[in-house]
Amino acid sequence: MRDAYVVGAGQSKYGSFPDESYRSLFQTAVENTVDSVDHGIDTAEIDEAYVGTLGVGGRQLGLPGPAVTEHVGLHGVPVTRVENACAASGYAVRQAVMAVRSGMADVALAGGVEVMTDLSGDAVRYWLGVSGETEWERMSGTTFAGVYAQMASAHMREHGTTKEQLSHVAVKNHANGSKNPKAHLGFSCTLEDAVNAPDVAEPLNLYHCCPTTDGAATALIVSEDVVDEYTDDPVRVAGVGAASDRVGLFQRDTYNSVPASEKAAESAYEEADIGPDDLDFAEVHDCFAIAELMAYEDLGFCERGEAGPYVESGATRIDGELPVNTSGGLKSKGHPIGATGAGQVVEVFDQLTGRAGERQLDEPALGLAHNVGGSGGAAVVHVFEREDRASEEVDA
Amino acid sequence: MSRGILAVGAYTPENRVTAEAFEEAWGRFDAPGVETKAVPDADEDALTMGVQAARRALSAGDADGGAVDRLAVATTTPPLEEEDLTARVGSYLNVPADAVRRIYAGSTRAGADALLEAIDGDGTALVVVADCPEGEPDDSREHAAGAGAAAFLVGDDAPAVVTDRAAHADVRPGTRFRQHGSENVEGLDIGTYDRAAFTEPIEAAVGSLEDADAEAIALQAPNGKLPYRTSLDTEAIAAVETVSSLGDTAAASVPLSLAESFRAGHDRTLAVAWGSGAGVTAFVVEGTAPVEASLDGDQELDYPAYLRRRGDIVGEKPDGGAAHVPVPTWRRSLPQRHRHEAGLCPECAAVAFPPEGACPDCLSLVEFETVEPQLEGVVDAATTIGQGGAPPEFAEQQARQGAFGVAIVRFGIDDEDGEVSLPMQVAGGASVGDRIRAVPRRVYVEEGVPRYGLKAVTL
Repeated sequence: MRDAYVVGAGQSKYGSFPDESYRSLFQTAVENTVDSVDHGIDTAEIDEAYVGTLGVGGRQLGLPGPAVTEHVGLHGVPVTRVENACAASGYAVRQAVMAVRSGMADVALAGGVEVMTDLSGDAVRYWLGVSGETEWERMSGTTFAGVYAQMASAHMREHGTTKEQLSHVAVKNHANGSKNPKAHLGFSCTLEDAVNAPDVAEPLNLYHCCPTTDGAATALIVSEDVVDEYTDDPVRVAGVGAASDRVGLFQRDTYNSVPASEKAAESAYEEADIGPDDLDFAEVHDCFAIAELMAYEDLGFCERGEAGPYVESGATRIDGELPVNTSGGLKSKGHPIGATGAGQVVEVFDQLTGRAGERQLDEPALGLAHNVGGSGGAAVVHVFEREDRASEEVDA
Repeated sequence: MSRGILAVGAYTPENRVTAEAFEEAWGRFDAPGVETKAVPDADEDALTMGVQAARRALSAGDADGGAVDRLAVATTTPPLEEEDLTARVGSYLNVPADAVRRIYAGSTRAGADALLEAIDGDGTALVVVADCPEGEPDDSREHAAGAGAAAFLVGDDAPAVVTDRAAHADVRPGTRFRQHGSENVEGLDIGTYDRAAFTEPIEAAVGSLEDADAEAIALQAPNGKLPYRTSLDTEAIAAVETVSSLGDTAAASVPLSLAESFRAGHDRTLAVAWGSGAGVTAFVVEGTAPVEASLDGDQELDYPAYLRRRGDIVGEKPDGGAAHVPVPTWRRSLPQRHRHEAGLCPECAAVAFPPEGACPDCLSLVEFETVEPQLEGVVDAATTIGQGGAPPEFAEQQARQGAFGVAIVRFGIDDEDGEVSLPMQVAGGASVGDRIRAVPRRVYVEEGVPRYGLKAVTL
């Protein structure tokens, strides 16, 4: 099996853009991705494309893949729409890696797009609920935030997690997002702001919830056979893991963790031959503050039940032992559902290639991207590696 | 062998609105003798109240729905003007599909008629009477309009039997009626004429009884004054009246008073049901039957909250789409919606909900054995969906009712080790560790079709 590498990644700005369309946002992401390739690339070299989108608002539910790839001139390129709710483009990246590793493609484009801010409040609430279990969970009257709030209630009950600890996630991610020019909510906030925000679904308040966002992100995955044509500093896809679970929270064995994340991480770590202690940073799925805390535990960053004290300790701040969501995460950078997973890869690529600007870490070698669909019905984890730096660490 | 009433169940909603609240809003209150009245919650109606009462009647009679040979449902306020209510009521109670079923409607004496005809029948009968009349906000009938339900388990060797009966009908139009297509009860308010249309047929029917003397009189009560305009014993009427606290419960008026009479231990009760038009059914009950009832309500509404519950001051279901579960799909899941039926895996004894697909534990594709979880459970995860935050399909309910809880609730299963967890809406909210009871409620209305299921109330 061949190795796969990320040679370019880019995104549109995330935010609310009444003057943009899903096609124009995707175009911006592709243009930025092409611009990020060290030695340049002609898009005619792209063999295969994977596009993640939920289709919020019902726009182009059929054939959204060709709708965006043809728009950017990828005429005739085989394209597959990937739908796994919020994990859509994380899975699109995985599909691209598989295409390259298998030998089916040498150059694959993976990405996603979503437009969410041009809908009425009621329409948004409808669309945010479509990834929950429809026949039973949704019919109990719950919302997307409501499901995660139930998880928070269980985590608090089981582990004593506090609202203040949830709020530390918001403070940290907004601090990071304030340094990200592409962030949707690029402002900082205080712990007091976050603790005292109005409730959305108790115990989660406004600062414990990510925004709905417009945006697109893409990445170029290439094979080891051609990687040298595009860059001298390749980012290797060191490990990929994915897993699914029952869509309804009530159908799972636990309400205070995401088993699919744990399983996906185990596979990714095994393939990369690393453990969580080897990571230099991570982008994790923080659609709600409790989601980031559960991710710490599911991905092995801390012991089960210790996520609250772990975030409170500052370990995951940008200057901590394991910076998490240097981009600002879904909370600050934004959450355009179909683009989110690819957007995480953009941040990992930027950090590993020294393009992260004010939030740049000190020559990281190993970064992880963790993308969750719904409340955990699907999860995908990628480990990316700068081989040169990783080998230097081994040598050292 | 004496055929009669084996057991009684009664139910009223928790909400109450006071006469004072009306007076503050309107400067007057036009339902004399009514101090408070019961108000259905936004997701309650005659069907859900009837099922609650029926559950209690079965419980009081130590029976289950499977034993019912005849099912009768009586109401003047069916959720749909045309559709057989007994099918859904029977599904909730697990009444056999081949049970004889009857609907009684169109008159406030429908409940009494349903009871007598069940007594005249054979086998085990369940008579469910529920009502929640409405009128225009400034109409006297609306000021009186209450809500409640009673159910009677009927069979042989009964402790309460009907020993005498009489009926009377006389043409008296215009006193109380509901026009085709309207939700509102109206009347012409022709003072003396109206009173005579009530009192004279009642006195004629009661006069036809061989011996009408009774310790208690369960008399139709359109308001709290009219019953006392008859020549019947006012103390006996007052002994079991419910109109002062529940309002006009229409078809359920006499059944609820009969339940009160049994509960109070009155050995001889005169029941007199009146329907506008006018007709009267009168009968004497000797003995008492066990009663399971809770007619108290501790959720007091102010007048704006009352109007919200009625849906008078809220908008319609918003645009923007709503979760769609096609009717055939919904219908396939009714044993789960109405009774929480789950599946026991024959290979590993795990419990699956819904009972379809692979076993959640051993992952085998099996034919599950049906098990019915208990109706009381414990909350394992919970939150509150605040005002304005509900999904579109629940927006109208929330506008009428306010914030509601959503929770994952764990239910035990009788005679089995297993448990099953379900997502449930909890009226008013819940916290982890709370105990709840699953109760019948309307879930939502889509494409004009009301969908019913189980929601939860905290214990």
